[in-house]
Amino acid sequence: MGFGQREKSGEQWQRACHECDLLLEDGLAPPGQKLVCPRCDAILHRNPRRSLHYTAALSLTGLVLFVPAASLPLLSFSIFAFGAENTLFNGVQTLFSEGYYWMSTLVLFCSVVAPLGKFILLCFVCWGCTWALLDRPVAAAVRWYHHLKEWGMLDVYMLGILVALVKMSDLGKMEMGAGLYCFAAMMVVANLTTLSFDPESVWARMAARRRRAEAVA
Amino acid sequence: MSRPKKALAQGRSSCLCCHQLVSLPAGGGPTRCPRCGARVHGRIDGSLMLTWALTITGTLLLLPANILPIMTVIYLGAGEPSTIISGVMQLYHAGLWGIALIVFVASIAVPVMKLVGLTLLLVRVQFGPPRFPLQAMKLYRVVSGIGRWSLLDLFMISILVALVDMGAIASVTAGPGSTAFATVVVVTMLAARSFDPRLIWDACDDAREELRESGATGENNNPKDGGAAGNV
Repeated sequence: MGFGQREKSGEQWQRACHECDLLLEDGLAPPGQKLVCPRCDAILHRNPRRSLHYTAALSLTGLVLFVPAASLPLLSFSIFAFGAENTLFNGVQTLFSEGYYWMSTLVLFCSVVAPLGKFILLCFVCWGCTWALLDRPVAAAVRWYHHLKEWGMLDVYMLGILVALVKMSDLGKMEMGAGLYCFAAMMVVANLTTLSFDPESVWARMAARRRRAEAVA
Repeated sequence: MSRPKKALAQGRSSCLCCHQLVSLPAGGGPTRCPRCGARVHGRIDGSLMLTWALTITGTLLLLPANILPIMTVIYLGAGEPSTIISGVMQLYHAGLWGIALIVFVASIAVPVMKLVGLTLLLVRVQFGPPRFPLQAMKLYRVVSGIGRWSLLDLFMISILVALVDMGAIASVTAGPGSTAFATVVVVTMLAARSFDPRLIWDACDDAREELRESGATGENNNPKDGGAAGNV
């Protein structure tokens, strides 16, 4: 939708490929398709349908799912009468109390802070880009999201849970907790959110609003 | 004229955060993107030097990460510290070869492949132009995409440490190797971030320019680089 509008307004579309610096003109990604650099095959722009609506809904879902995923036990393990449970936080806590500060910080950052931050930022971006007042904070939020993007590692954590599950299953009884289902759902939602978010549509919406304001004035 | 047009040649650059085309100030210094406010350089500042430094750091840290034990599993009073590779071997001998393969790929193959890939890219850019830039780009994309999966082992340790904590019957504790391994992963991820793929194409363009100036007629046998630039 963004590019179509711009094309109609007669503004010349021009950009440089971010991976090989080739200057490109007159590109247009139809909704649901993507724009690829002719020289280096970099994906310049994906244009998912109704990006902002989907992202807003998905990131809100992710935020809601985060609460049970973080508070309910993911796995429980028992040998004879002794048992222990694992939540997102208590592994980090144990590592921290054993003196592995750097490692526990990293695990906390990648499995809790970054995914939560991504949900919050996207929620803010999608709901906030309708108000002119929030233009600068929204731009900053998109920038933060860009930096945080690859540090959210819910899918890797999920695989870690799976490996732990298989590895310890011959030592004692391993059970999946309710939190694990919420966690898996949150992981799927997080990946879908990443796929559906298209910053270009945020910028297009801001530009369109600015043009309207100028036309009125 | 079949030379591909570059943004930098026109004193402009793409903002790496929002992909807006930004005009650089005279002299090519850094500026702020008017749309998203990120810093924009013509090319990432000190990209090669930073990537070299981080790659070498990662390679050095790979030694303690693989030699020192990453965790200790004690079951019914018995158990010794295990390193990354002995953990994989234990899984393999227990008959769990699928899981052994996953752990091997994530915590041994990926970091090593990443460091080798980054070194190849750096050598290609600095000493002689890459002959197959598209291949180099593929390598770059693989290197920057796979890095996060090596954190698998650390997540597994953090889960087991909380889960298996029953004193003398069974307990899991982390080892000093895990700290080194965590640092390897972070350092290689940062190295992939700081490498600027546009340098590959700069090196290619420079080589082609030299070829043309040295008298050889600048034949352009790569149709992809032709005048069709811009048609997607």
